[in-house]
Amino acid sequence: LTMDDSNKKYYNRETSIPFSSDGDVIKEAKILSLGKADDVNNEPLYKGRLPEGSKLLAIGTVMGDFDIPALKAQEPNVIFVSSCTREVLLQLLDAFPTIEWVHSRSTGIDHIQSKGLAAAEHVVVTNSKGCFSSTLAEYTLMACAYFAKDLPRLMRQKQHKDWNKYEVLELRGATLGVVGYGDIGRAASKLAKAYGMKVIALRRNPSLSKGCSICDKVYGADQLNTLMSESDYILVAAPLTDITRGLIDADAIAHAKKDAVLINVGRGPIIDEDAMIDALNNGKLKGAGLDVTTLEPLPTESPLWELDNVLLSPHNMDVTATFLRESTEFFVKENLERFVRGVTLLNLVDKVAGY
Amino acid sequence: MRASSLLRSLKVVSRRSPINPVVCSFHSSSLRAATNGVTTPHADPQLKNYKFWNREESTPGQFSYLLEISPESIQKEARIISLTAPDDEANHALHEGALPMGCRLLGTGSTLQDFNELRNSDQQPNVVFVSPSCPKARVQLPLVLAAFPTIEWIHCRSAGIDFVVSDALVGYKHIPCTNAKGQFSSSLAEYTMMACSYFAKDLPRLMRQKKEKNWAKYEVEELRGKTMGIVGYGDIGRACAKIAHVYGMKIVALRRNPSISEVDPLCDVVYGTGKSSLNKLMSESDYIVCSAPSTVETRGMVNADAFKAVKENAVFINLGRGPVVDEKALIEALKTGRLRGAALDVFIEEPLPPESEFWDVSNVLISPHNMDQTGSFMHEATEFFVNENLPRFVCGEDLLNPVDVEIGY
Repeated sequence: LTMDDSNKKYYNRETSIPFSSDGDVIKEAKILSLGKADDVNNEPLYKGRLPEGSKLLAIGTVMGDFDIPALKAQEPNVIFVSSCTREVLLQLLDAFPTIEWVHSRSTGIDHIQSKGLAAAEHVVVTNSKGCFSSTLAEYTLMACAYFAKDLPRLMRQKQHKDWNKYEVLELRGATLGVVGYGDIGRAASKLAKAYGMKVIALRRNPSLSKGCSICDKVYGADQLNTLMSESDYILVAAPLTDITRGLIDADAIAHAKKDAVLINVGRGPIIDEDAMIDALNNGKLKGAGLDVTTLEPLPTESPLWELDNVLLSPHNMDVTATFLRESTEFFVKENLERFVRGVTLLNLVDKVAGY
Repeated sequence: MRASSLLRSLKVVSRRSPINPVVCSFHSSSLRAATNGVTTPHADPQLKNYKFWNREESTPGQFSYLLEISPESIQKEARIISLTAPDDEANHALHEGALPMGCRLLGTGSTLQDFNELRNSDQQPNVVFVSPSCPKARVQLPLVLAAFPTIEWIHCRSAGIDFVVSDALVGYKHIPCTNAKGQFSSSLAEYTMMACSYFAKDLPRLMRQKKEKNWAKYEVEELRGKTMGIVGYGDIGRACAKIAHVYGMKIVALRRNPSISEVDPLCDVVYGTGKSSLNKLMSESDYIVCSAPSTVETRGMVNADAFKAVKENAVFINLGRGPVVDEKALIEALKTGRLRGAALDVFIEEPLPPESEFWDVSNVLISPHNMDQTGSFMHEATEFFVNENLPRFVCGEDLLNPVDVEIGY
């Protein structure tokens, strides 16, 4: 079930066909792991079978962990990032000019993104796009239903042993507006369609989604207010970049439909949190489902904790027992195998755009 | 397909040539050639038999290439009485709306006494429309049938007919009876997925942590890859399967006539009834959805034995009828942790009495039998009677959604 052409360039856990390692190995991967040595989720790399001739040279989280002169002689060409700061990454790139490829175990690269990284023309960056999408799609529909069936009311009534029949809303026929129509947005739309919802997608390149069978309308970034005015449920699934920071501001929220619900699974700073809190307080927004917030962990002083109409989760709605391990497996089985055969890597990131 | 829902509100009737498809209430005669009117890829194969209605998949007036409502096509009149609560607004389409040609509402009432005037009139009713809002419908319906032997069709506004079934009614089993099967299924499917996610993402924990201002990351489960076992694979069960399938869940279905669902693309496995089948389903399912009707056969069907057979960490969801489940056994299974949790929209006694243990069991999601109660659901059920089955009746065609009052569904 291909949604659009990008399936050839990007990975999706549900729909991608596993890479067949038939072709010839033409080079070796010499890998540095920027991450913790005791991180069990990295075992597919630390203990798993790597392509012929490739090896893991060193593991560390700070520069002091790496024996620079010794490693320089071995000419490392790959960095696998699971835990680091953007400064350390830059220092490593500086120390090892032989690095050609940086892979991020997470999908968001905002934490390692930098001008220095963008400027390093000889280095390509890939991420784990498509590894976590279906779980977040499940959360999205749960958040929609949470408000449609008024789950908080059910829990309240139960506490008071109150049998009070009230009307519920259907998701069927309602509109889901997806801001940032990437892999997560598509996974959520797939489910929304099964519910009979209408889907409006918004992305920087709307032409990429032309002919997409699961959205009813595709908008460009300049049509955000239109999307807000047409959606009953708004899903923010965009990456955090200079363009998306503060994208959902007071103006956008002011255009929201009556009783709209805002759901964020992207990054907290995409939404102007104060404007959102205002809207939640004065009823402009019916409610919000937030798996991400501007500050994480969310400080106890944040009004979000006490707003009744907020469903809050600690950025864990994609944290399954296996998700990070599966992401490392993706690196080892899909991209590493491609790298050593000179095949184009999946999930290439635009270092300038930031996603 | 959806556009023809507009046709419902048009009451203009005329006959036109086939070249100019007529826009007429209840049908568009452009649906000429269809011998198989079902167009959706995952549609219920049963719909091919034209017997049952589903709000999402059936086209309003879908089979009406068979129908042409004109004076010539009317084979008989429908003279309707409505057994209802007084002022039941949901019945607007019948009580106040314009009815199809050939149909007349003779009267409404809650008891036989309310229809006394009709008993001596020369206009005798041949159709009775009975709503669950009618208090003591179970007592009144057989009385009405006895007083008006001209009645040849009973239509129940709801899907469950247990509110009206009785030994006395079984005495009238020769009278065709139809119901609102397929009207409420999608809402209940939405509830089902919410109930599954409620446990998979541990929603109670989220709410607890929020109260405590506790930011603690914990692991969540996926529904993808899990198994949903559906006890009573009817229209509601199928609506659940349709959505669960897109989530990547595996579907195990159980029904009296498994052969009907053998070619259903949504089911991975279909079982028939019988002790071992139910236990097998229980042992294979992560989420059990009970959507069976309450009949003589199903009463107390999901009992202690069945709960003993459940898979570890299973979740039980009941949105059919309370009596299908042995509530004591369910409570036991919840308290001992044999079941991870339950989501219950229906109970043996409704409203659920305050003394019921369910209120105090922490791993239960309780709803007051309202998870299909949208603002319009009963109105739509009445509209289905008016727009779909009444035209079929007056044109002498087969009625949709036949039920067997002896079997109970």
